[in-house]
Amino acid sequence: MTETLVPALDPAAGRPGLSRLADDDLELLLLIRHFELELLRLYGRGELNGTTHTCLGQEYVPVALRPLLGPADFVFSNHRGHGHYLARFGDAHGLLAEIMGREGAVCGGVGGSQHVHRDGYLSTGVQGESLPVAAGVALHLRRTGPGALACVYIGDGTWGEGAVYEALNLAALWRLPLLVVVENNGIAQSTPTASQMAGTVAGRAAAFGIAHRLVVSADVNEIRRELEPAVARVREGRPLVVEFVTHRLGPHSKGDDTRSPQAIRAAQENDWYGRYAHDHPEHFHRFDGPARARVRGVADEVAARPPSRWSPCA
Amino acid sequence: MTTLTLAKSLNEGMRKAMEDDPKVLVMGEDVGKLGGVFRVTDGLQKDFGEERVIDTPLAESGIIGTAIGLALRGYRPVCEIQFDGFVFPAADQIITQLAKMPLRSLGALKLPVVVRIPCGGGIGAVEHHSESPEAYFTHTAGLRVVACSNPVDAYTMIQQAIRCDDPVVFFEPKRRYWEKAEVDTSAADGWLPFDRARIVRPGTDVTLLAYGPMVKTCLEAAAAAEEDGRSLEVVDLRSLNPLDAATVTDSVRRTGRCLVVHEAPVFGGFGAELAARITEECFYSLEAPVLRVGGPSTPYPPSRLEEHYLPDLDRVLDAVDRAFAF
Ligand SMILES: Cc1ncc(C[n+]2csc(CCOP(=O)(O)OP(=O)(O)O)c2C)c(N)n1
Ligand SMILES: [Mg+2]
Repeated sequence: MTETLVPALDPAAGRPGLSRLADDDLELLLLIRHFELELLRLYGRGELNGTTHTCLGQEYVPVALRPLLGPADFVFSNHRGHGHYLARFGDAHGLLAEIMGREGAVCGGVGGSQHVHRDGYLSTGVQGESLPVAAGVALHLRRTGPGALACVYIGDGTWGEGAVYEALNLAALWRLPLLVVVENNGIAQSTPTASQMAGTVAGRAAAFGIAHRLVVSADVNEIRRELEPAVARVREGRPLVVEFVTHRLGPHSKGDDTRSPQAIRAAQENDWYGRYAHDHPEHFHRFDGPARARVRGVADEVAARPPSRWSPCA
Repeated sequence: MTTLTLAKSLNEGMRKAMEDDPKVLVMGEDVGKLGGVFRVTDGLQKDFGEERVIDTPLAESGIIGTAIGLALRGYRPVCEIQFDGFVFPAADQIITQLAKMPLRSLGALKLPVVVRIPCGGGIGAVEHHSESPEAYFTHTAGLRVVACSNPVDAYTMIQQAIRCDDPVVFFEPKRRYWEKAEVDTSAADGWLPFDRARIVRPGTDVTLLAYGPMVKTCLEAAAAAEEDGRSLEVVDLRSLNPLDAATVTDSVRRTGRCLVVHEAPVFGGFGAELAARITEECFYSLEAPVLRVGGPSTPYPPSRLEEHYLPDLDRVLDAVDRAFAF
């Protein structure tokens, strides 16, 4: 049941070449990239405290999925969710205000980086918890809104949690329109996947009779094309696990990187950002500087806002 | 005497326990190579090997469950729950197995498992990194629940918890991890039993009962109150279950007033048990009702609001005023 999407090789570069992106896809990718970099800068300057998990290196996953998900679909995100949110809503102001606790925050500044709530979108930082919840939403969607699905993002490490398997069983048994998107970045905090996962994600999906797609490519167009029919089948009540082999560019949160310099270098070499700049320099540079400036503008504007306020729901 | 942070005291205490007893194991998420997110287990895997310091998958229920199995076979596992909010996936194993097996077997089964939980707020983190879940566990018969408040106790109490044949839920005040004190690491006994409370500052007018992170706050309040001519006695409970009721009631009978201070929500919190107990046992000595200072009944707020959530000097002193106003 497992199918693998292996990238087309670019013989000249000795590695897969990335196809040219539509302008809006490139803009979104760069928005997420610079949003995350800006967050780290704000932490560095003490304008934010606590912690955050950036999706640097993994931005293309939600961008590739964006047009495959519709407004009636639900998205459940995790601790590394800024990209998921921005790909869904494009709303850098609301998210940054949420994280900084400023006026215009998506949910009053009460949720912060890891607990964002907006129509059809929920995130939580407690691993594995949202899978059964997504299954419940999928059950409702199957009954009332045929064609809609629940999409849940999880990391490789989260496959250690028991709740994941309860949800997979329910999804297969009840034929739920559940799309599980695995961002397998090869590590959970400091623990490499190989030291914490027996077997494979594919094998686990297979155990429940759930289809599994492995995506090795970072090419947004290619991924989209390949996944489109599979996601359409989810809408008919056939749950799917899509596993992205991806790379965490930065530390787990901030400054806590235990990986070897080689592993970090490998992540950097795989980074879509540098690769796209190499493969499509003109296109890249036309959008990169403006995206950085735009995010900086968002940060300045949001930082100047008064603190967020809220009143309890009636 | 060595100057140690609270985190390092725990580390040294575990190291000592592992040297003394080959059956002591450490397990948890990222406890090995990383040394835990707060570096409390730093260097232990390097020195004791991967067989004794086990990096587990992300699986809290699995961690506690396997620790129970190991304990059944004679080991003394010390499990780290990475943050307070992540103990809930393990709650089933803790409440229905770890707590109950020894009681159900009338003591035939011993489960010397220590569940270490960094607890409380004050580090500018999110909700599930800042909670104080002690009341869930004090409510569960069969668990010892303790909380250290300073480096000296951290060093001794972790060793006592490991040596103890009962399951122990061990709360560590994460915002105090970096506080330092002189710790005597040469003595191996003569320690105050870990289920005994300690009067950390004697006083005559009001008893402040606290544990974990709030002990320091209460000591600061006592110092401030002294300037107003009020003498506050601060009791560090150290053990919540069993409760050292004698030390507590003794103090309250002398002072006639009592405040309970904790970070956890007041409603249904451990302070409610203390207030009820003191009312039952010290009724005729009380000049005022037992007052509780704690968090509101909301999820832990975003970090920029946590100073409004957490009891501080002012809230403690306000409560002292209220106790005097009766
Ligand atoms: C139940 C639970 N236990 C522990 C944690 C602490 N924690 C946060 S992220 C993380 C690693 C997650 O790894 P993975 O699922 O691979 O996602 P990644 O961080 O690589 O994106 C851990 C252990 C948590 N958030 N939830
Ligand atoms: Mg991972």
